[in-house]
Amino acid sequence: MAAALRILHWACRLFLAGVFLYSGYIKVQSPLEFAGALSGYKLFPDALIFPMATYFPWLEIALGVLFLIGWKIRYVAIGGAALLLVFTVLLTVTYLRGIDANCGCFGFGDRISPRTIARDSLMLLPALLLVFEARLKKLAAAETSVV
Amino acid sequence: MHLGVKRAMRLLSCAVLLISAFALATPVPANDQACEQCLGGGLGAPIKIEVFSDFECPACRVLFMDTMRQVLKDYCTPDKVCVIYHEFPLPMHKYSRLAARYSLAAQKLGRQQWLSVVESLYEDQAVWSQNGLVNVSVARVLSPLDYQKVQKMIDDPAINQSIDRDIALGQKREIQSTPTFFVTALGKEQKVVGGLPYNVLKDFFDKIVK
Repeated sequence: MAAALRILHWACRLFLAGVFLYSGYIKVQSPLEFAGALSGYKLFPDALIFPMATYFPWLEIALGVLFLIGWKIRYVAIGGAALLLVFTVLLTVTYLRGIDANCGCFGFGDRISPRTIARDSLMLLPALLLVFEARLKKLAAAETSVV
Repeated sequence: MHLGVKRAMRLLSCAVLLISAFALATPVPANDQACEQCLGGGLGAPIKIEVFSDFECPACRVLFMDTMRQVLKDYCTPDKVCVIYHEFPLPMHKYSRLAARYSLAAQKLGRQQWLSVVESLYEDQAVWSQNGLVNVSVARVLSPLDYQKVQKMIDDPAINQSIDRDIALGQKREIQSTPTFFVTALGKEQKVVGGLPYNVLKDFFDKIVK
């Protein structure tokens, strides 16, 4: 059980590191295109769009690096989960408002749709697993001692 | 073992950062500049914007009226921004090629004439895209003499060839919808599909040219 949890831990970390590094890298490459995607959400004031497009991708890259390094992983996972939750809420709200916008998540050709919302929601799972890893370990240990 | 893995992961993350830094410094690909003409600014300006647009496309109208018109007014000086408009009439739009011919002809008369014609074409887009009377919008803003000149020029095969060159260039640069524009600055090119508010572009320009 402990070995399985360790494999799961690494799988979640590597997956989330890949997701955040890739998505941050794509946006850093083209901040103007990301700004275009952000303005398509019709939610942020114009004055905030360019600063967000410039600095936000670096936050994603930093999270990706932290997931790789594994330093204070539970807090990093909480940050990652919070960010993914914000993305999911943003996508859902925009979709429900009937706005045909570019997701701007992993490249710039993806329109917001139930598929993109489901994809972002599913990414929450590995982050939540890392957040509640200690509890899972305790449960596993308790099960082992009972057996 | 555990420490070894940790060290390896730290090394890996450093490698990822280094690779990212190299990728970010990727030079701008060379483009076909044969038919380029700045409609403001100069080709040596630190920022270059190349717009691929279609006169009958509503999003192109918004981009011009809300963003590019202001950019042309505020930033198009030789030391700031060079704006290049490429005609990219989509086959599904019946009159956009005709409008593009008028625009190119007006461009040959001068920047002010081009600007007036383009503004008028976008203002009346809903009208001429229905009745096909593109010339009415053009005649409205040009002097009779200029209008006569433009009417002669639109039949010049060179104008059609110029549009064909722009379309070929757009296809080469993988334009899939209009408007699409490329912003080149600090040795890097960014492709933007769709519109962008003027204030966002302004923030970007102000970071590079004050």
